[in-house]
Amino acid sequence: MPKCLVCYKWTLDEKDIKIKPEDLSLDVTRAKGKISDFDRNAIEEATLLVEHQGGAVDALTYGTTAVKQSLKDVLSRGPGRVYWIGDNSAAKADAYVTANVLAAAIQKLGTYDLILCGEGSSDSFNQQTAPRLAALLGLPCVSFVLKLSVEGGTVKATRGLGDCTEVATVKGPVVLSVLGQINHPRIPSLKQVLGANKKPKQEIKIGDLGLAADKLQPRAVPKFERGFVTKRKNIIFKEANAAANVAKLEAGLATEGLQ
Amino acid sequence: MLAKVKRFMSILTAEQQEIKKATKEFVAKYVIPHAAEYDRTGEFHQYIVEAAKESKIFSMCVPKQYGGLGYDALTQAVVLEEWGYGCAAMGTTLGVSPMGQYSVLIAGTEEQQKRYFERIVKGGLSSFALTEPGAGSDVAAGRTTAVRSGDDYVLNGSKCFITNGGYASIYVIYAKTDPSKGAKGISAFIVERERPGFTIGAADHKLGVRSSNTVELLLKDVHVPAANLLGKEGDGMKIAMKTLEMSRPGIAAVALGVAQRALDECVNHTRKRFPDRKFPPGQMLEFRLVDMQLQVEAAREGLHYTMSLRDAGQPYSEESAIAKTFCGDVAMAVTTQAVSLMGSYGYTSVISKCMRDAKIMQIYEGTNQIQRLVISRALLSPAPSKPAGQKAA
Amino acid sequence: MNFQLNEDQQLIEQSARDFAQEFLNPIIARLDQTGEFPKEVVKELADHDFLGLHLPADVGGANAGWVSYVAVIESLSRSCAAVASIMNNHAMASYAISYWGSAAQRNRYVPALIKGDLIGALAICEHGPAPGIGPDALVATKTEGGYVLKGTKAYVRNAGVAGVYVVSAVTDAHDPNALTAFIVDSNVAAIKVGEPITTMGLHGCPVADLVFDNATVPEAAILGTVKGAGEIVRRTLALASLGEAAQTVGIGQAGVEHAAAYAKERVQFGQPIGKFQAVQALLAESATDCHLARLGLRYAAQLAEDGQPFEAEAAMVKSFLARLGSKILVDTCQVEGGMGYSEAMPLPRMFRDIAGTTLLDAPADFPEQLIAASIA
Repeated sequence: MPKCLVCYKWTLDEKDIKIKPEDLSLDVTRAKGKISDFDRNAIEEATLLVEHQGGAVDALTYGTTAVKQSLKDVLSRGPGRVYWIGDNSAAKADAYVTANVLAAAIQKLGTYDLILCGEGSSDSFNQQTAPRLAALLGLPCVSFVLKLSVEGGTVKATRGLGDCTEVATVKGPVVLSVLGQINHPRIPSLKQVLGANKKPKQEIKIGDLGLAADKLQPRAVPKFERGFVTKRKNIIFKEANAAANVAKLEAGLATEGLQ
Repeated sequence: MLAKVKRFMSILTAEQQEIKKATKEFVAKYVIPHAAEYDRTGEFHQYIVEAAKESKIFSMCVPKQYGGLGYDALTQAVVLEEWGYGCAAMGTTLGVSPMGQYSVLIAGTEEQQKRYFERIVKGGLSSFALTEPGAGSDVAAGRTTAVRSGDDYVLNGSKCFITNGGYASIYVIYAKTDPSKGAKGISAFIVERERPGFTIGAADHKLGVRSSNTVELLLKDVHVPAANLLGKEGDGMKIAMKTLEMSRPGIAAVALGVAQRALDECVNHTRKRFPDRKFPPGQMLEFRLVDMQLQVEAAREGLHYTMSLRDAGQPYSEESAIAKTFCGDVAMAVTTQAVSLMGSYGYTSVISKCMRDAKIMQIYEGTNQIQRLVISRALLSPAPSKPAGQKAA
Repeated sequence: MNFQLNEDQQLIEQSARDFAQEFLNPIIARLDQTGEFPKEVVKELADHDFLGLHLPADVGGANAGWVSYVAVIESLSRSCAAVASIMNNHAMASYAISYWGSAAQRNRYVPALIKGDLIGALAICEHGPAPGIGPDALVATKTEGGYVLKGTKAYVRNAGVAGVYVVSAVTDAHDPNALTAFIVDSNVAAIKVGEPITTMGLHGCPVADLVFDNATVPEAAILGTVKGAGEIVRRTLALASLGEAAQTVGIGQAGVEHAAAYAKERVQFGQPIGKFQAVQALLAESATDCHLARLGLRYAAQLAEDGQPFEAEAAMVKSFLARLGSKILVDTCQVEGGMGYSEAMPLPRMFRDIAGTTLLDAPADFPEQLIAASIA
């Protein structure tokens, strides 16, 4: 009956983001929020685990005050309760700050058998949250999890490492980050959506975490944010026949550095 | 048999009235009974070309001296409206067939005309190939080429959305003899079906006019003799535009037929559904049917005026664009209204076919947006001051 | 005044969008070609609680309200309006039974309708000038212990797959307005489903006539009261028109988005055609009509949800879309030109589908009559 905590991030839906053609800056005015993609997998994995074996799933999130929009969403996907920290510091928070805040919160909430995250967030994909949390909490960390099973107090995780897989077994509390291939999140049914209203949502004030000021100062500061637009060359080869056009295409590609 | 509906007509001569009557009978006997089935399967309606052979209606644009019927423009409009009334797909086959013939009439030598029309008069179909995947409204962007080689031109490229393409025996195909000159580099060629390297590609499954044959044409090193060039090199754009000017009102007539058919079907169904004066259709339904009729009548009068101008040898380019645009838009509006008004009956009967068929009328022969471009230029260009109502010579 | 969906409604709408992506997108083309009733998808709708979305909690529904309902129908329609049509017709039958049914009737039918084990259908329209009038009108004659039904109901959606029909019949030969509603099981022998009727679009939602050949139904089959069907028909059809409007808006929105994306890619005269005002005009008008219809629809749905009179507002949306709904696809197909006419692309199917959601069927009243009466 594992007690699980899933850490998730409320990000902007990238398909709503427009790139301004004048200066390639991002227009996010029409962007809606969403639970970061791999975090959804983490939520689903914890939920499936608990559906099969009993136990509990709590959710935890740190974001700006916009994070309030995520609460019913996450509760409709399986967790029994959600803890949220909504603070403007999150707007500039890097992986260091995020991990500090989450770890401090987790220390207040108590012991969990499994702490799950997505492998990386949809927006920054730093892949640092899980390892940092593990270090701060003094727990082992298993990342790139493709398959997960829990038997008694033992966690068995298969890691997807690109050209091979690795199976890790851990006894006792552990921090895990999961890949998108681990599962296919189910669509919340209406009963789950409407049932989210009844589940507890608890705010944690950042001031109550007892963090020193420097722990909330980001160490990685972005210089600028620009959209990337593929510039089409729009070169048309108008030779007399296909063979000549192909020859020109070949030559053109070589000039661009493609062999 | 559809109940008779009183229709106001332009003043047709006795001969034109006879032709209208005979066409109506032909359509009732041969077109209407099979239209739905061919629409369902999408198979080309070869049988109607056979059935029409005796009447030589597919030669209606061919001058009499070459063995054709040499119908004037108004008569052609009358015929095409009846065919559109019976089935827009068959109307399209008949209405688009003259296009290649027009190109040859506009720019062909007597020898070329004789050669081309011979096939038509014998019962063959003709096809006009201008459109390419990258050259729809933008005709000048065509990429099919024609390179002079000795006494031949060698054609390479592809065309798409070509009506009658799979069944024609002779084509007029537009290709660039000078790709560097854009529109001025296009030339027009007569291409016989049997030329090696000329293949018919895939047929398109369409929303409407389903049994009309719409295909890709693929040209790989197709040799045509220089004697097949229409006019001079670079004349292609002018020939194509003049061809479209001539053929547009014909298509407008097909659209008109579709609109009239939808209206008649509504009227007949309304009579059947509300046979008792005690339970009349009600003014809302009745007046909407009238609104449909108003549009159809106005469209017909505009079209017939355009054809009269052409028959009188007057310029009619702007009127041609207006007629095509208005008839196409009216057909779309009237058939859409018809489906909605007739409810589930409209959605499940020939009325729904009319709506699907009407849509293409706004698109082919130059989209109604291109038509508006042409008309707006004529409308807004600074003209020598002439009181409204007088046409410039 | 808030025109936005609230949090719950947004989540429900998102669930419906995700559902459409996962379960409807894979079957759209096949469904349009074969017209085969998508049994598995309907079961998935039930498993995701969509079939009880609009029903009160005391019959096992989610009671999510009409605003959520139309948001779901719209979301499904953006992918596959045929399935939305099946759901809307089914939902109206289950609504009628839940709202006017006796405890026994509700217990007997509603749980199975919510679970998708039973499909429901409304059979109101007839071939005659108005229900109750004409040679084929469905007439219910009183008999020992019940009624004998004779006549034909026209163009019944979900006919043949439905296990239960909510039917209106004339019970007084001299008064065509004396309509009584009945809940009729499909397995009554003397009820014949006519030949499947081929529709222009919305393939997959079956349509057929329902012929009653002296079918006997018991007294217990009466829904509501004798001669009391007027209110049932009026209210249910008003709610059904909200669902139809939602289908129209959903298809329209999908058409606008597809055409807008096409206009960005298709280059003619050296630029994407979306740069030409002619194309912008077509897209703008379509987007505008779709948007305004959605707002009118949401407003009417909110009134219905609040228990306020809403039939006039629903009629306004119906009237607007009967005039302008199909135009959205006429114009978006136009943007795509020759490609917009090829069935290899999605717009022709949407064109065929949207024409079927804005039909002025029956009763032969036009929505304008109701509207005019409401403002007199």
